[in-house]
Amino acid sequence: MEVTMALFITKRLLMALATVLVVAVLAFLLVHAMPGSPGAVSLGAGASQQAIDEVNQRMGWNDPLPAQFFTWLGSAVQGDLGVSLIDGRSVSADLASRLPVTASLAAGATVLSAVLGIGLGVTAAVRGGVVDRIIGGVAGMAVALPAFWIGIIFVYLLAVQSSVFPATGYVPFESSPQDWALSLALPVITLAVGGGAFIARQTRASMLEALQQEHIRTLRATATPTWKILYVHALRYASLPIVAGIALQFIQLFGGSVIAEQLFAMPGLGQAVQNSVSTHDAPSVQGVVVIATVVVVAVNLVLELATKFLDPKLRAS
Amino acid sequence: MIPNVAPAPADQAQPTTAADLRKTRRQGAPKKFTGSKLFGSFGSIAGVAWLAVLVAASLTAPLWLPFKTEDQDFTAVLSGPTAAHWLGTDELGRDLLSRIFASAAGTLGTSIITVIVAVGLGTLLAMLAAAAGERVENAVSRVTEIMMSLPGTVIILAVIGAVGTNIPMIMGILGVLISAGIYRVMLGQAKSLQSQLYVDAAKVDGVSTAGISLRHVLPGLTNTIVVQAALIFAVGMLIQAGLAFIGFGPPIPQPSWGGMIQGASQHVYDAPWMMVPTGAGLALTVLSANAIGNALGKAPNATASHLPSAAARRQRAKAVATIASAAPAPVTQDGVAKGTLSVRNLSVGVDSTGAGSGVRLVTDVSFDVEQGTVLGLVGESGCGKTMTALSLLGLLPSGVSVTGGQILWNGRNLAATTDKAMETVRGRDIALISQEPMRALDPMFTVGYQLTATIRRLRGMGKAEAREEARNLLEKVGIVDAARILKTYPHQISGGMAQRVAIALALAGQPKLLVADEPTTALDVTVQAEILSLLRSLVTDTGMSVVMVTHDLGVVADICDQVAVMYAGQVVENGRTDSILDNPRHPYTLALLAADPHANHANDMPERLATIQGQVPQPKDWPTGCRFAARCQFAGSACLEPVPLLPSGAGEGLVRCVKADQLAVEGMDWLATDVPAARALEITPTQNPRSLQTIVEKDLA
Ligand code: SF4
Repeated sequence: MEVTMALFITKRLLMALATVLVVAVLAFLLVHAMPGSPGAVSLGAGASQQAIDEVNQRMGWNDPLPAQFFTWLGSAVQGDLGVSLIDGRSVSADLASRLPVTASLAAGATVLSAVLGIGLGVTAAVRGGVVDRIIGGVAGMAVALPAFWIGIIFVYLLAVQSSVFPATGYVPFESSPQDWALSLALPVITLAVGGGAFIARQTRASMLEALQQEHIRTLRATATPTWKILYVHALRYASLPIVAGIALQFIQLFGGSVIAEQLFAMPGLGQAVQNSVSTHDAPSVQGVVVIATVVVVAVNLVLELATKFLDPKLRAS
Repeated sequence: MIPNVAPAPADQAQPTTAADLRKTRRQGAPKKFTGSKLFGSFGSIAGVAWLAVLVAASLTAPLWLPFKTEDQDFTAVLSGPTAAHWLGTDELGRDLLSRIFASAAGTLGTSIITVIVAVGLGTLLAMLAAAAGERVENAVSRVTEIMMSLPGTVIILAVIGAVGTNIPMIMGILGVLISAGIYRVMLGQAKSLQSQLYVDAAKVDGVSTAGISLRHVLPGLTNTIVVQAALIFAVGMLIQAGLAFIGFGPPIPQPSWGGMIQGASQHVYDAPWMMVPTGAGLALTVLSANAIGNALGKAPNATASHLPSAAARRQRAKAVATIASAAPAPVTQDGVAKGTLSVRNLSVGVDSTGAGSGVRLVTDVSFDVEQGTVLGLVGESGCGKTMTALSLLGLLPSGVSVTGGQILWNGRNLAATTDKAMETVRGRDIALISQEPMRALDPMFTVGYQLTATIRRLRGMGKAEAREEARNLLEKVGIVDAARILKTYPHQISGGMAQRVAIALALAGQPKLLVADEPTTALDVTVQAEILSLLRSLVTDTGMSVVMVTHDLGVVADICDQVAVMYAGQVVENGRTDSILDNPRHPYTLALLAADPHANHANDMPERLATIQGQVPQPKDWPTGCRFAARCQFAGSACLEPVPLLPSGAGEGLVRCVKADQLAVEGMDWLATDVPAARALEITPTQNPRSLQTIVEKDLA
């Protein structure tokens, strides 16, 4: 069993590596298709063609594409993603400072979504009737409302009208944990509306499916108390799809944070990609795409391991 | 922002990225698209109406809009709704109403591009993978798996960097990204359609692969296609608006919904109204598309729950109270012997809310079980045996309940007992074993946990003691290496072993009555005999009684003292096993015997086995006269009147047939008809208690 587990992990790691590589190539090609050469972008308008050519030459822009890619890849695996064309700063350092912002945002929103979603989803499935319809209706609304619109409403209600939370900005955890939490509150709540609704639906459907299983009848036939059937046995059965839904949610929120970061002026990865795309800052775009892919692939890997652990059938085989 | 999987209708679980998560998940049979469901709910009607109005209004916008999108009214900057500007204005005094409607067509139209690309490509890939065999399928699945584990939002932004804000192009690429999820949803259905018999037939006829996909597979996918199209449309709208919100919308000054909301977000402080009209317009449109998708994607007949929701339980409690007040006071005198079950005029029906409301499933069923005896409930599938059996424990699935009659256990009417109070009866007095032992055990917990938890609960034992008792019980049901089995999960043991475990579980509370619902049907023939002999010895050793639900007269002959033959929700004949098997009075019993080689007591095997033509009628089609009339070889005009259950003349037996006496005198036989001799009616276990009418002809060998 130890051996098969090791084999499984190795296989999955290789698959993950392949995914990251595919994306790296894709990102490289996309970036090369961007309008403007690095020289033109970094020197800005008004630069002489000669100066531009010189920069391009120095950066290897005229080398064959594969050579350029492998040069980039070579430094990338050593943690060097190049320098920004706009301000000359190291892309790796910039992204490293931004990653915690987006990660806190996505993780916070995922946790809140999971708590809200599992709570509401289980309640809807267990209570049924009117409660189920109300929760279903609210969840239906919540998935239909765009996050940025919900965000503005929250800003209006909680920051403008009653200044409970700061409307914008981000305070690093190291400076002040309390302010960090406060600065995250609004964006996290904003993202958790849609996320919570999504997980609530997932949880409800999975719980109902669990309750249709025949072993639930066996449990009732042996006088198992209702609470135990619901919260030990059915929830345990439903845990696999729920966990998958939560992981999925994290991935989506990680990408979706670009909207929250724009709305709440947070210096995260989303803001970085938005800026660098607008300014055609090729190394930055490439860096963000790769970092984001690594995060997504890692989450998927963790999900698969979690699934393997949660499901006795998979665990044993 | 961009989903990694295809969106799911509201009442279904999201398909997850981990492909092998639970392959056994029920897959509804693919169905063709029918428009009728579209108008089945208020939400979807409103959705269709709103989308129609929006499209019409937007396309005709130049004709009726009060302002041009770029008209600036400096007398009314950032105004709320006024007579001139119904929905107010923005920071340049532009009319919001005009801008919302003028930009609607573009937003909707470009979202459709995503729909066409995503659903088109996803469906095409699924049909290809289903038609071209495993290798192609694996390759396509691998690629889509990688696509699904990409950070879609970031990639779309990088694409925007490369191609600029060319909205139609971006929405197309978005469609490609989403198509992987669609493929995943479609693949299972396409494969199941591809494996249908008529597809094989078409192949034999030389229809090309492409022809089969187009003619036979695609039509079956239409409903899913429409559902996904509606849901993806909503996703596309949201993403497009989101992109515009972060500044990647159509070039300025062209209005877009996302861009307008972005503009509004700059004025939360001084003009909060501004975000309302556009946000509401966008939300309504997304809601409409979702409502349509949800209405079309609604599972038509959800499988019944084994633990009804709190609301459903409250409703049932009310029904129980009605029965309690309607039923005569239970006989509580000492005359009632301990451990006797007496069912009187039991009726079970579908609840008045939901599909098939009010349909009767069991009518007027009565029987008695003395302590230490075994009663067989016999009949084909769809005769109400299982419903009758489950009602003894108060475990009818959701949507079905006892509608009348009494279930007297030691003189107490269980039909009028609340669910809470039934908890003291279940397991301790009456226990249940069911047809498919694998599914009866919780796959997530070990045998040991399930058994000890039950023993502790029902017997109030401590942990160590319960563990010991669990081992004893397993040994008692004939498991040799009990210690090992205790540590296993249900999927690690064989079916026969699982049934022994299930029996041990049922015995945990030392019940007086065991309800066994086809306990051997799903097992191998040799294992069947072992389980039957185990049950027989348990009856002798423990003195418990058994209600044995079965379609197999061999089982009846083997183990039952009494038999009640059921047909279409009624008892048609009952009495002692020997007298019924030797001397059946009801034509249905006669037919069952004639069709069953094992139950034939006659020393010579008949050359041809008889069959019963036709099927048990659906509950809603039960006639007022004899319910067997349509299939009975002896039916006559007298059979069209309701037939009472009368003494059959053989002991205390009863029979429900107008011609019973005549048949007994004439000694008629159920004639074998010209059907393959080695085949006889066998009853398939129904998984869905609502679809009781599945009869499958199957080789008895
Ligand atoms: S009543 Fe008539 S139709 Fe019914 S079983 Fe008897 S003979 Fe057949």
